[in-house]
Amino acid sequence: MSRALDRAGTWVGWAFFADLASALALTFGYMFSRPVTMQYPDKEKWVPYSRYRGHHFLTRDEAGEIKCVACELCARICPCDCIEVVPYEDENGKRHPAKFEIDTARCLFCGLCEDACPADAIALGQQYEFSSFSSRDLVIGRDDLLAKPGKAATGGSVVAAQLNTEKNVLVETKEPRGYDWWRNIRRT
Amino acid sequence: MLHWLSPGSQRATAGATGIASGATPLYRGRSLTRSRSWSTAEARISSRVQPFPQVARKMELIVALGLIVLKVALLIAILLLLPLPLTWLERKIAGHMQQRMGPMRVGWHGLLQPVADGIKLLTKEDHIPAEADRFLFKLAPILALAPPFVVFVAIPFGESISVLGNEITLYVSNMNVALLFIFAVIGIEVYGVIFGGWAANSKYAVLGSLRTCAQMISYEIPMGFAVIGVVMLAQSMSLIDIVRAQADVWNVVYQPIGFFVFFVAGLAEAQRIPFDLAEAEGDLGAGFHTEYSGIRFAFFMVSEYVIMVLVSVLVVILFFGGWNGILLPLPPLLWFALKVAFFVYVFMWFRFTFPRYRYDQLMAIGWKVLLPLALANIIITGILLS
Repeated sequence: MSRALDRAGTWVGWAFFADLASALALTFGYMFSRPVTMQYPDKEKWVPYSRYRGHHFLTRDEAGEIKCVACELCARICPCDCIEVVPYEDENGKRHPAKFEIDTARCLFCGLCEDACPADAIALGQQYEFSSFSSRDLVIGRDDLLAKPGKAATGGSVVAAQLNTEKNVLVETKEPRGYDWWRNIRRT
Repeated sequence: MLHWLSPGSQRATAGATGIASGATPLYRGRSLTRSRSWSTAEARISSRVQPFPQVARKMELIVALGLIVLKVALLIAILLLLPLPLTWLERKIAGHMQQRMGPMRVGWHGLLQPVADGIKLLTKEDHIPAEADRFLFKLAPILALAPPFVVFVAIPFGESISVLGNEITLYVSNMNVALLFIFAVIGIEVYGVIFGGWAANSKYAVLGSLRTCAQMISYEIPMGFAVIGVVMLAQSMSLIDIVRAQADVWNVVYQPIGFFVFFVAGLAEAQRIPFDLAEAEGDLGAGFHTEYSGIRFAFFMVSEYVIMVLVSVLVVILFFGGWNGILLPLPPLLWFALKVAFFVYVFMWFRFTFPRYRYDQLMAIGWKVLLPLALANIIITGILLS
């Protein structure tokens, strides 16, 4: 009996386009839901999670001295051979890198240099905007690496930003904490 | 022309004289006498100055013709500019239905995007394939663009408005065979699509035009039959009479089946999803306009949007009371525009909701569902009317 009712209901629904109507209702609902678009680079910018492997950076210790001991383990482990380290010894007998170059055009951002480093000197940070017209500009030296931003503290958020066309880089606004991008995702 | 337009009915004669004396009110016998008294007064004045009374009548004719030309120019301008906001609207609706934003970068919320697109299309290379039939290839976009514009001559947008004390009718001509005229002229548009696909000498384009041929033959017939119920109710083929007959109750109440058949056939006529087989992006590249670029491609696009507006206008006039409002005392022209805008939205809503029908499904719906429904609708209407 109930099966017959079900079948009748199915046929009535078919005759009055119940499936099409439910589809229309769904799209109509979606039309008034929040768009998930991140307006990069015009208005917003994604701050990646702290585990994100972006541009490399070198760190300093509390005394402001470069942490790197120029052991060349990173250069040894690098699968694409893109790190070049030339060490020198200072007056205290400590090793430091005289030259530390990373060819980011060849780098595959695997993070093995970060794992291999015994002094926690090199790591992969949050910066991901370093495209260039010349591959020569993608070879980053020691001092530039020291100036690169570190790992993201409040990762996984969207902050207000604006496109600075003069310098060809994105300038973030002062607002430090963005909103969680996932709040816009409609979960049904 | 006058002879063709006046088969003897009172209303039709009023309409026919309306063409000749556009500046004056046109309805029934009343307007006739008024226009005559106006012209005699004019003649009396001018007879003092000029000894020739025919000059006054000539002036009247020139004014009427000028008014028609003015109306047509305004109509063409509106119809040519209408696709600009419609493309923007379509992209915005598409974006928001898919949780995107649509165009955002050109102007406020991308409002100037259609202008940018227009400039892009105008400055693009006008490419004609080497093996193409050059004459037909150039003819096809014009054939696709012109008929939808011509059809709007027969379409009323309201009764009349008064400008500077003169009553000006909101239609170019009140044809007593308006519906037949519309179906006859809009049929020509298909040739544009067919020639375009054929002349391009590309297999995708030919497949697209083949599909268009079959689709148009199977959908014009139910569309024509669906309208017959409305004509039976209004006892007239003039669109103005049809709207006047719906002053109290809209036709959609009496003709729900007719509305359904007409709307589905209209979707197919406008080649919109779920019946856009002629330009199915997924399986045919871009269908019949695969090989077109630049402004010729834009012609096809404008034609598509104008037909979409046309089908919306026809649905409103035939089934949703035209400019007759309900509940709110808005101006009739605004009511008309609101209803048309709603149906244009429904077209876009459908486009971003439904998948495309398969070719055989399309033919099956046309011949096995819509045609019997339309015929049944005629029989039911006939029984109920008698």
